[in-house]
Amino acid sequence: MATTTDHSATEQLFARWTSGDRSALDDLLGHLYQDIHAIAVRELRSESRLTLQPTALVHEVYLRMVALREPNWQGRAHFLALAARVARQVLVDEARRQRAVKRDGGTPVTLSDVNLGGTDAAYDALDVDDLLSELKRFDDQAAEIVALRVFGGLSIEEAAEVLQLSVATVNRRWATGKAWLTHELSRGA
Amino acid sequence: MTATKANAAAYLIFAEALELAAGERPAFLTRACGGDRDLRHTVERLLAIAESASETLSFTTNGATTADRAGKVYGPFRLLSQLGSGGMGSVYEAERIDGVPQRVAVKILRESVAAADRQLFLREARIIARLEHPCIARLIDVGVDHGEGWIAIEFVHGQGIVEYCDARQLDIAARVRLLVTVADAVTVAHRALIVHRDIKPSNVLVTEEGQPKLIDFGIAYVLTLASETREATSDVGRLFTPHYAAPEQVKGEPVTVATDVFGLGALAYRLLTGQPPYADASSAVGYLLAVTRDDVVPPSQMAQGASDNPVRARRLRGDLDCVLLKALEREPARRYKEVQELREDLSAYLAGRPVRAHPPSATYRLNKFVRRRKLAVGILGVLLVSLGIGGTLYVMEAHRVALAQAIAARRGEFLETLLKSADPREGHRDITVAELLDTASRQLEERAAAEPLVTASMLGLIVDTETALGRYPQGLAASDRQLALLRDHEGTALDTARALISRGTLLRTNARYADSVTVLRQAQQLLAPLKHVDDERESLLHELGGALAYTGAEREAESMMRQAIALCPRVTVDRVARLAVAQNDLAVLLGNEARFAESVRMARAALATARAGLSPEHPYQLVAEQTTAMALLNLHHPEESEPLLRDIIVRSGRVNGPEGRDTLIARVQLGETLIDLRRYREAQAQIRPAAEILQRVEGPDNRYTNSAWSDYAQAACLGEDSAAGLPIAERVLATRTRTLTATDWRIMGSRAVLGLCLTGLGRYHEAEPLLSKAAADLEVARGAGFYATQLAYRALRRLYLRQGRADDAAQLESRIQR
Repeated sequence: MATTTDHSATEQLFARWTSGDRSALDDLLGHLYQDIHAIAVRELRSESRLTLQPTALVHEVYLRMVALREPNWQGRAHFLALAARVARQVLVDEARRQRAVKRDGGTPVTLSDVNLGGTDAAYDALDVDDLLSELKRFDDQAAEIVALRVFGGLSIEEAAEVLQLSVATVNRRWATGKAWLTHELSRGA
Repeated sequence: MTATKANAAAYLIFAEALELAAGERPAFLTRACGGDRDLRHTVERLLAIAESASETLSFTTNGATTADRAGKVYGPFRLLSQLGSGGMGSVYEAERIDGVPQRVAVKILRESVAAADRQLFLREARIIARLEHPCIARLIDVGVDHGEGWIAIEFVHGQGIVEYCDARQLDIAARVRLLVTVADAVTVAHRALIVHRDIKPSNVLVTEEGQPKLIDFGIAYVLTLASETREATSDVGRLFTPHYAAPEQVKGEPVTVATDVFGLGALAYRLLTGQPPYADASSAVGYLLAVTRDDVVPPSQMAQGASDNPVRARRLRGDLDCVLLKALEREPARRYKEVQELREDLSAYLAGRPVRAHPPSATYRLNKFVRRRKLAVGILGVLLVSLGIGGTLYVMEAHRVALAQAIAARRGEFLETLLKSADPREGHRDITVAELLDTASRQLEERAAAEPLVTASMLGLIVDTETALGRYPQGLAASDRQLALLRDHEGTALDTARALISRGTLLRTNARYADSVTVLRQAQQLLAPLKHVDDERESLLHELGGALAYTGAEREAESMMRQAIALCPRVTVDRVARLAVAQNDLAVLLGNEARFAESVRMARAALATARAGLSPEHPYQLVAEQTTAMALLNLHHPEESEPLLRDIIVRSGRVNGPEGRDTLIARVQLGETLIDLRRYREAQAQIRPAAEILQRVEGPDNRYTNSAWSDYAQAACLGEDSAAGLPIAERVLATRTRTLTATDWRIMGSRAVLGLCLTGLGRYHEAEPLLSKAAADLEVARGAGFYATQLAYRALRRLYLRQGRADDAAQLESRIQR
């Protein structure tokens, strides 16, 4: 199957990038985008699924990759961070596309995730994206951390590793960031 | 309510306030916000949200984005207030409004239920609704309203099990006792063919009275039915709870009863160490990797690390470590094969008895941890997946029937519960075994489409049960279905091998030895490339040995049996018992080959194994003693075997009942002993009733039935009652000729007995060719010393003497022993 080769290509690019080859990053993101987009589209097409768990998208891509070898903990965190970034992009693009297609606004691409609070809640991908962009204006770190946790499912420790911050700092910024995001999301309802 | 947008100012003030101690905040806020009430209000709301959010993973939504459903009606229930929300959706307290006062918990599913899945969802939920147990919160109703799927469950007033234990500072024993109760409840569900799939602390509540209540039984499954597309490749959105989900769930592999074994193990781990398994994994992916790749940290080490008191760590070391590690094996097949076994080990721990989950696996694992070696050396065997104890696999000789009965009893239990769950209104009328099994098969058929591989493993249990009960055609039908499911749904080689072993056992028990060998050889091929399958390999070799012994391939049978014995130390389940039985069966085999001295040695080894490693009431004790008695009999020590057998008959009568197959066989053996002691009338009196019961229970073709009748005919003729013996001897010869391979020595033996009867009746011309042929054939096949050969010589001598052929008789004299 062709996908197998794609995964190993993704993996090789990731290896090149982690060993310092910065030119690999663009290709790597491109591959990841394809992978994650394919999964997201597949999920959204299935009629019974109205919400998406972004971290699950990332996990699936990751799972396919690590079937081939055993990366270290830091490698994993960095990969997840990249994938989180891509997943956010995929979901936002998909939401925009769906809105454009349907005049009445269509079905929004909604997110649901453990990191995104009460699992009963479903959030509009575009809302979350907008809010994170806004948060970035007054707390860059918090926005970054929330994005990593929400879109990539990174733990506090993993986020600390990726962002080169102390666990305590990540904890604090996460607490403020998530409270703010929660506040804003609930305000809009 | 619309709150003001939290702008940068509000955010920064909030962030700073959060760093302060709660007492310092009001003054700070007054200073920072000045007179701006909106600003202060926003900051306070942010603070409240931050404070209420649980420590790491989740936002609280403040209910605002959640559609507030209080007051809405779902089916016959009106929602009152929200109790919480979990991975599956929100839970509400609700009341019944159709006249029956009832308080329930209604779960509103997060995923919408697609129209196509609705029926499946409702049907499955109805199966779960049949589940009734004091420790299981009942599923009361399900439905789809307002476009949302909902499930109504018995409302439980209680506290989470962890909170319950911690609040009361329960000691280890009390916690283990709670776990035993929980395991009982899970076992009941498994017998009704329902797997929980999501056992974790939040799904176990404990009431004021200390009664644990499992909630959400099978709900995880209903949910997957409700929300999953049928697309097999879909990994996204797979429901699992980090720290409690089993590796196979995380990987999207089939869920079986072993999944609940893992869940219970994880729950136990949490209750006993204060930490969930793989506590280090800080994210879902971290858990996913850990649980699929790493061994769990032994509980005692975890407790030690967790700044808990060292006493607890010490108490966990040893048995509890072993039990939990076995329950938490990553490979489902290496765990306890059913919750019942885990439960038994937990109660064994409480009673201070040795647990089953002992080294090598656990010790090995512990050592491995200490040495921090990563090399996975496969000394762990694999268990049988079926719900039963799998013991029919080693039930092969006459002497193992006690175990078969134990299994039959346990399976009866399973089937009974099954029937009750199938139709609660018919719970207490008399139910025949046939009805039970048929119900089981029907229920399995209902589930086959939804869960083909689980169904296949359950069918394995049906096959073993039918075998134990002697319902061979039904067993074969179940086996056909099982193999078809495994084939069509790509069951693993290991599962297929197990299914073939069950089938081979059935065929062997049904005296279809050649067919059995064919099937078992297929299993052998499947097992050949696999690792960590010592348990299956042992079963296979043992079975194959048993079947080969009846197809004239005694040499190969012996070799198989010796290989089985050699494998026993590496077997993980019932190691001692299996060794005892394998030694015993080799002793039987050697005895059948007239190698009596070796046979007695081996039988005594079996007895020593059983005495050293098994409880006195263990059925194998009796089995090994019985084999020893038989070997002694073959060595012509009837004076030694007689008291032994009389003792065995009494004890076996207590354990297996006076009509138990083991008891009957012991009586036949006592009859043989009495023949050897020339007390023929007593022998007849012992054998006849036993033979009649065997014929009724086991059928006229059964080999024990035929051995018994053959012995009876022999005793009758030797006691000068040949008229009684003749028709019986004729019947035995005819049956054996029909059911056994032409070269089987038992046919030769039957000729000798028939010749003996004919001699007694003066029909010398008919007797002589039979006896001559029997003597010559037996001499070649079994040796001159074999008891049947000796019988043929003696009968021939008797014939010659009656015909006045003294010279011929004298020629025989040298060959007759004693």
